[in-house]
Amino acid sequence: MKLSDIMSAANLSAYAEIAMILFIVAFVAIVIAIFLPGRKRTFDAASRMPLDDEHPQTPR
Amino acid sequence: MNTRLDSFSYDDDIVRKFMWATMIWGLVGFLVGLIIALQLPVPGLNAAPYLTFGRLRPLHTNAVIFAFAGNAFFMGAYYSTQRLLKTRMWSDGLSKFHFWGWQAIIVSAAITLPLGFTQSKEYAELEWPIDIAIAVVWVAFAVNYFVTLAKRRERHIYVAIWFYIASIITVALLHIFNNLSVPAGAFKSYSIYAGVQDAFMQWWYGHNAVAFFLTTPFLGLMYYFMPKAADRPVFSYRLSILHFWTLVFLYIWAGPHHLHYTALPDWASTLGMLFSVMLWMPSWGGMVNGLLTLRGAWHKVTEDPVLKFFVVAVTAYGMSTFEGPMLSIKSINALAHYTDWVIAHVHTGALGWNGFLTFGMVYWLAPRLFQTEMYSKNWVNLHFWLATFGILLYVVAIYSAGATQGLMWRAFDETGRLQYPDFVETVMRLMPMYWVRVAGGTLYIAGMILGIWNLYKTWAKRPAKYEVPVVQAAPLSPTYTDDHAPVAGSAWARFTAMYWHRKWEGMPLFFSVMTAIAVIVASLFEIIPTFLIKSNVPTIASVKPYTPLELAGRNIYQREGCFNCHSQMVRPLMYETERYGDYSKPGESVYEHPFLWGSRRIGPDLARVGGKYPDLWHVRHMYNPREVVQKSIMPAYPHLQTTAIDFNAIQKSVDAMAMIGVPYGDAVNSAPALARAQAEQVAASIVAGGGPAGLADKEIVALTAYLQRLGRDLKNASSGTAQQPAVPAAAKPIAMAAPDGSR
Repeated sequence: MKLSDIMSAANLSAYAEIAMILFIVAFVAIVIAIFLPGRKRTFDAASRMPLDDEHPQTPR
Repeated sequence: MNTRLDSFSYDDDIVRKFMWATMIWGLVGFLVGLIIALQLPVPGLNAAPYLTFGRLRPLHTNAVIFAFAGNAFFMGAYYSTQRLLKTRMWSDGLSKFHFWGWQAIIVSAAITLPLGFTQSKEYAELEWPIDIAIAVVWVAFAVNYFVTLAKRRERHIYVAIWFYIASIITVALLHIFNNLSVPAGAFKSYSIYAGVQDAFMQWWYGHNAVAFFLTTPFLGLMYYFMPKAADRPVFSYRLSILHFWTLVFLYIWAGPHHLHYTALPDWASTLGMLFSVMLWMPSWGGMVNGLLTLRGAWHKVTEDPVLKFFVVAVTAYGMSTFEGPMLSIKSINALAHYTDWVIAHVHTGALGWNGFLTFGMVYWLAPRLFQTEMYSKNWVNLHFWLATFGILLYVVAIYSAGATQGLMWRAFDETGRLQYPDFVETVMRLMPMYWVRVAGGTLYIAGMILGIWNLYKTWAKRPAKYEVPVVQAAPLSPTYTDDHAPVAGSAWARFTAMYWHRKWEGMPLFFSVMTAIAVIVASLFEIIPTFLIKSNVPTIASVKPYTPLELAGRNIYQREGCFNCHSQMVRPLMYETERYGDYSKPGESVYEHPFLWGSRRIGPDLARVGGKYPDLWHVRHMYNPREVVQKSIMPAYPHLQTTAIDFNAIQKSVDAMAMIGVPYGDAVNSAPALARAQAEQVAASIVAGGGPAGLADKEIVALTAYLQRLGRDLKNASSGTAQQPAVPAAAKPIAMAAPDGSR
């Protein structure tokens, strides 16, 4: 029995859709996490990284 | 800060090198584009065998993607990475190897593609020795990059770096897996995948070449150079986190939208469509993030041409990432696919997004790299307007060409017959639009020439010796504790506090692994079912491998780049089956290494052309298409009647195909003899039809044999008879070898 026999018999037609739902759930969770207020100060500091060529924002 | 400081300087020499390469190869790529744009309304410009549309079109796409955009990415990445990480690149030697290696690859592409060496997979045309060279150079770049990351002096890695990391990892994966092939000589190879699976792999690669070569690298560049030029931080760092992860997760699934209504299984096509539509969200998140970086600085846009370029670039990104998801919806795709609509779409992206972001970067970098003012700011402004009007003319004309032809293909008259049954009529209608495209492209190129001249004049007034500022920063401490302690509380509170992501940003290697997992997992979700579920590709008993002569003809078809203008995939749509015949089945392609389904119909589909015309028709048509179809815009291929078939090379082709599982039976030992026998028969039929004699050892015979075979297997099956008029007696041993049904 070859791998393709097993895979064909395993009835995986819903497999891709399940994966898609998992990713949508993860996506929504990340959206919520990012836009809840919380660590704005840290992120503001991080966003200044490109503006200074000489001094690290978080040294050491 | 009571620690010792390292003194170091940034390597700007490598940035200057990549800048010149970007602009010079860009001009070359655009000029080749102009030539092929002219070859459509003026077919006489296909002046020599190695200068035909079919051979130059891949040169144009490869030059613009890998030479222009590629060098632009490297230019910006080398400049920004060093500054964002507060370190010089780890190895100047590897940086130089990357530069010269990449230029050597471009030169070899510019030589081999016109010579007809091609794998005939879009944007992966380069043959296997060059593919290996690309992998080596890419690995050198990656090693240099990751060691530099490890030696950084900034604890956290900025969003631009995330995008660069994702690009470096994913491009390596895509390149390796799409190019797996079995060589048949120094410059010829056959994809190890066949038919449906090859199509799937190709568009997994092809779409993600757009994603991870033209989008994520340039988003990284946008996140660095836009704040730099506006002198203010990016609008929302949190939006950029969302933008990054959703883009990396979603993009990799979208490839199958290039194969709607083809023989690709329906589930894969639907999945590709859904993920493409979802991509709209993060893409526009990124666009908003870029544009709003200019909040409170819009007055600068009117004064600073660099910002003007950036604003148009990000707007073009927004337009093409709205259009992309729209085009991936099946019903819209049915109209747009195979037409110029897709060509207009990619040019909005390449000329607008990649081009304008690159020009903005170059004009921002040039005064800093050459340490003098731009020679002429007015010329920069003029470049901006020339290029903007160039793009507008180009895309308006080509969008309307695409919609026009798509609508003509599907039009039925009141009696229920095709309104435009003559394909060439739908091509003729596009000629005015093609001339407008030539005008638009010329404007864009004029801007480019002006830009290069301006750069040269700026370079000419550089200081005698570049100043190299010394920067001081402390090395990273091995015992680092974040001053922001992790939030206590529930798992949800900890998750939403995003401390974890902050931590990831301090661990580039872990960050890279997570990125790789995102890309690989998503790929496997699509690839495993495509390869392993048998019902995806029902086998058809009457489908047999090509005879050795037909295989030689197929090699010629690939060499001449016929697939650039002719599809071999009839979609199951009424107006397609009316025009071409029965729709294409997955089982028909099981011996197609590589698949040749095509993506654009400048000429008609050929999946059912076998037996439609007599052999002599093909001979005359190839010699001069306008002798047979008066208004045809196809290049003439008279050299096929004088070039001899390399019969001994056929054995190598057959052996390579047999090695990847094509059941060739006895032909493995006697391919040249079988090919000669069939060639005699085809040549005799040409003479019998009143054609020229003495063609039995000429390439035209092989190509004719191949074209006459297309679609015949399915006809043989449906006629239900055992006789095989299309397959000559000499080919019988092959015909008897039964497919093993394992694929």
